[in-house]
Amino acid sequence: MIRIKMIANYRAVLPPEAKHGVIEIDVPDGTTVYEAISRFDIPLNDESVIVLNGLTVDMNTPLKEGDMVTAFSAIAGG
Amino acid sequence: MYGWHLKLLRVNLTTHKVTTEDVDPQIARDYLGGRGWAIHYLYKEMNPAVDPLSPENILIFATGPLTATPAPTGNRYMVVTKSPLTGALAHSNSGGEFPTWMKRTGFDLFIFEGKASEPVYVLVNEDQVEVRSAAHVWGKDTHETTDILKAETSAEARVACIGPAGENLALMAAIMNDKHRAAARSGVGAVMGSKNLKAVVAMGNKNPPLHDTEGMRAISVETSKNVGADVKKGSNMRIYGTSYVPQVTNTLGILPTRNFLQGTFEHVHNVDGDALKDQYLIRHTPCYRCPLSCGRLTEVPDGPYKGKGEGPEYETISSLGTGCGVSNLAALVKANYLCNEYGMDTITTGMTIAVAMEMYEKGYISEELIGMPLKFGDHDAMIAMIKKMAYNEGFGKDLAMGSYRLAEKYGHPELAVTTRKQEFPGYDPRGSQGMGLLYATSNKGASHMEGDVAYEEVFGVPVKENPHSTEGKPELVKHFQDSFALIDSSGLCVFVAIRYVFDKNRLIWPQTLATMMNLSTGAGYTPEEVMKAADRVYTLERMFLIKAGSGPEWDVLPYRMLHEPLPDGPAKGMVAELDKMLPEFYEKRGWDEKGYPTKEKLMELGLPIN
Repeated sequence: MIRIKMIANYRAVLPPEAKHGVIEIDVPDGTTVYEAISRFDIPLNDESVIVLNGLTVDMNTPLKEGDMVTAFSAIAGG
Repeated sequence: MYGWHLKLLRVNLTTHKVTTEDVDPQIARDYLGGRGWAIHYLYKEMNPAVDPLSPENILIFATGPLTATPAPTGNRYMVVTKSPLTGALAHSNSGGEFPTWMKRTGFDLFIFEGKASEPVYVLVNEDQVEVRSAAHVWGKDTHETTDILKAETSAEARVACIGPAGENLALMAAIMNDKHRAAARSGVGAVMGSKNLKAVVAMGNKNPPLHDTEGMRAISVETSKNVGADVKKGSNMRIYGTSYVPQVTNTLGILPTRNFLQGTFEHVHNVDGDALKDQYLIRHTPCYRCPLSCGRLTEVPDGPYKGKGEGPEYETISSLGTGCGVSNLAALVKANYLCNEYGMDTITTGMTIAVAMEMYEKGYISEELIGMPLKFGDHDAMIAMIKKMAYNEGFGKDLAMGSYRLAEKYGHPELAVTTRKQEFPGYDPRGSQGMGLLYATSNKGASHMEGDVAYEEVFGVPVKENPHSTEGKPELVKHFQDSFALIDSSGLCVFVAIRYVFDKNRLIWPQTLATMMNLSTGAGYTPEEVMKAADRVYTLERMFLIKAGSGPEWDVLPYRMLHEPLPDGPAKGMVAELDKMLPEFYEKRGWDEKGYPTKEKLMELGLPIN
């Protein structure tokens, strides 16, 4: 089981059972960050920021049990 | 010349004498406008060592060559003065409508000198300039003041004013325009209050003539189209403004929580953009000529925190909210309204209360001193403190001096998370190393708006940088500092400039902005020239700091950032590694190893050597 978290408008791609923008999904062993996030309808280019457990990583990094992949739109500022 | 009026208005508040002056076209070109022109005049005319709250301090309102042009978000102005909070430079930016109306008076700059003997406001209606009594609005909040002054001047006028916080010289006092927009940071409102200047009212029809009106229109339409395409795709900004950011920084473990004791907040979903959207959002409210429209009208319809206004934005959520451990959204929204009405910077206000909360919980200050318990998460106490600060009541007198002086007074300077005595914004530099270097070297003290490398470290705009790495950050920070100096001088808003005006390739970032400035002014800038001018502006500001007594010895980070590793989140165990970056940063800026601009650098930029 891993967790997928979507922020702000990206939450729209999650199923209704998501809570606070987070859902849990089962993925086969060896699934990468890219493969997991590809299941969701968000831009997989520089319009999105995708992090693994809050860290900047290679998108080919394989996932471990309990990992959280987070994605948000790179339309930014604070 | 076009784009600029090349005219400044000078008002001596002591004598009520009003004069106008032409601006030298060469100075105009070399210093770009806005923030650049302002530091030129401030450095030339004022001893940087003056007491910031004395009549000798000069207060400058400055528009840029793209203000009041068709350029999307050409609606900004800068307030530039010596800061009473930091003792360094204050340059605070705001949008809305007032800046455009100010430029339409026919002046690029307003310079206020001296001190009025009684409260006054200044009306500028093109060449009709009057210093009028403000006795009837003194003591009133920014919303009442705005309504009264518009009623007695013109519905077509726009108002920038201070509230009670500025009148009472609170060091986090802001200058509010159009009720909800703030030139917030560094205590610029206290400088206005110290001059007995309650408000500035602007109106007129003198749009600046443009060098190439058709060209400007075409590039503006194209930029607006790009913004519109993003909005159509589902841009966050119209719905969330910046209020979605707490989820981002919480994910990265750099969300200021309980005075930076933590980098994640367990109740973040109570105070994030979705909670705000679902509960209190009414609609988006753009600044003048803004296709992005990140401002949002909100309302708490009933209950103890009933109110209506705009925001809050991210920086308010991360200071008055998570910074104070507050998870009650209605109270947080109300606190934001109060800060706008009293005229206060929410970052310094929130983070000062956060320091007081930590001091209270550690037993360093008592309930008796404060007048009530002040634990993290106590939203009613947080609101009570805001009122005390604005009105300088009781313990509010200590709070109104900001967190640096508060922590020092009660013997615990290690608890103040500031640089140059100004409170950190919402990115913990232990997990965003470039932000640490930025805070340490910023000409206005800790600020994200002087070179916000969080765009890259956090948001991936235009390039995703690893926030934990120090590698390449000195050059990145220098580039962002110069880019922000350019944007602040141009009259554009960072949000549009950074995303839609700059190219994804950092090397040619300034190209479109240079083009826009040329279409406006006819100055014929190359991209290299505008970046060199921005470097000139930044370096002259540094010279001001050195003479003001806020030089390289203040290029430091506070104790917590250097010695207390983050206890939680993805950046757990990390501290800010300033030492790894500072020497290379000085070198990139053309400063010597101690942080002073070299003679060669000053000569290269055409700046005075002494």
